[in-house]
Amino acid sequence: MCDGVALSWREIPDELIGKHGLQRRLVKRGEEADREVQFLQRDRQPVLPVWAGGQLWVWTWGPGAQSRLPTNCCCNNESLEAGRWSWLEPQPVEIPASYVWHKGVWYQTVGGIRGILVYDALGIPHVYVLTQPASHYYKVMTRSDRMPVFLGDGI
Amino acid sequence: MKTHELIGHVDSDCFYVSAERVRHEHLRHIPVGVLGNQGACVIAKSYELKARGVKTGMPIWDAAPLCPDAVFVKRDFRWYEVLSRKLLGVIRSVSPQVEYYSIDEMFFDASALREPAENLQQRILQEVGIPVSIGISRSRTLAKLMSDVRKPFGCCTITEKDAIENFIHLQPVEELCGIGSRSTRKLHQHGIRTCWQFTQANRHFIRKLLTIKGEALWWELQGEAVIPILTERKKHKAIARGGSIGRPSTDRERLWAWTVRDAERLIEELDFHRVLVGELVMKLSYKTAGDWSRSVRFASPTGDFDKLLEAAHRLHLVACLELQGQAVTHIDLIAERLCDRGAEQRSLFEADEGNSSIAQLKRATNEKLGRFALRSAATLPLTDIYNDEAFNYDVCDIRDKTCF
Repeated sequence: MCDGVALSWREIPDELIGKHGLQRRLVKRGEEADREVQFLQRDRQPVLPVWAGGQLWVWTWGPGAQSRLPTNCCCNNESLEAGRWSWLEPQPVEIPASYVWHKGVWYQTVGGIRGILVYDALGIPHVYVLTQPASHYYKVMTRSDRMPVFLGDGI
Repeated sequence: MKTHELIGHVDSDCFYVSAERVRHEHLRHIPVGVLGNQGACVIAKSYELKARGVKTGMPIWDAAPLCPDAVFVKRDFRWYEVLSRKLLGVIRSVSPQVEYYSIDEMFFDASALREPAENLQQRILQEVGIPVSIGISRSRTLAKLMSDVRKPFGCCTITEKDAIENFIHLQPVEELCGIGSRSTRKLHQHGIRTCWQFTQANRHFIRKLLTIKGEALWWELQGEAVIPILTERKKHKAIARGGSIGRPSTDRERLWAWTVRDAERLIEELDFHRVLVGELVMKLSYKTAGDWSRSVRFASPTGDFDKLLEAAHRLHLVACLELQGQAVTHIDLIAERLCDRGAEQRSLFEADEGNSSIAQLKRATNEKLGRFALRSAATLPLTDIYNDEAFNYDVCDIRDKTCF
């Protein structure tokens, strides 16, 4: 599915970096490499960058402390289409990402991945990564049966 | 055979990775691996990834733990061909004779080159975006050796005999293109470890040890160009299609589906080159039992898809019988004993051939709607493969290369 995403720091406004304390998530993969912000599911407070309403946001990834919400960090596309999330009134969103991390493998995505936005009882936004059955290539690459729904070319 | 005063060799530095960096700048300066057809193996690596111990051909499950921050990229041969042809265009603009040796390597007549190799290197970087290494010398073997030694992003021009001798003095003989592990062993047994020692050996002895190909290398290392620049690809002696089938399989339907896929790709290539096949070879690799191969000879050379498929089916059945329960990892179909269409000796005992109406319809449909738009129903177990556009264009589909 998805254990994390990385996005170039150039694509995140300074204001968002400061507001959400993203400096501590800044990483460089090489001395001369561009800096990137890593959003990992294993973080104490996992968050994701999200494009919604023509603006970039940083929102809670998964239920956070809200036990009423589904406990996964991902939303199965089949269950979404079957209407099992409709009680949460999910809205489609785009999660920009240069790379996605899954089962110990970082791979490149062009554009990013799809997600859904839901609100908890307090009106706080939560994001779930949308997933689908893995392609043959993806299965071999990550040994996973599911993969994110990609915005651009799939894997 | 025309020989050239000077021959150049352009070799792209980690070509697939560099090609990805042309369109995705954020991949620069980070460890990058390009994954092969099945998503399993690293087929190209950046120097940053190489420094972490990852080798070409290594499975991703071994490579990722060696370099946890590496980024892996799915291969895209259509894009790599675009840049490869662009590179070819730049070299053709400075040389009247260019050999399209492989997707990322080209030889050229450097006799009339009016600028230093470094200028050409910079021009390629600016116009194509790919870093290359260039070697220029008196033969293609020396030029290639020089570009290899100066990698990455180096240039080496050595044309004087004394300087060439100095250059080859310490070069290991196994660095020569055409000297594989078996030839290396043979040479080592006779105390020949460097290129210089190779040139000092008796020419007749080298020919006896390594055949005429070894002798050609001997001449080339002396600075005598005997291997020409091929501006056109020689006629194929054989054409093959196939390769890894991903996860090893014992499923007969899936194995047959891969075979049919290979047959459909093979017939496309036979059509393109306007050749007929006299013998069809099926080669399988097994997870535990090594390789297996059998062949079918046609009564007369054929370009008929149904006959090709029938022969492939016979081979498939024999394989299933002889190697029951063994998991197959690779399937290759090889068309051998090729002859030009119209030049074949016809059989007295077979009806005049012509592709069936279904085969003709399939070809016409695919020409109009795209490759594999219409395909054999037997390939249905591979729908996941066909759904992946990147699978439908492989490195072997890039034509005119001379290396294989």
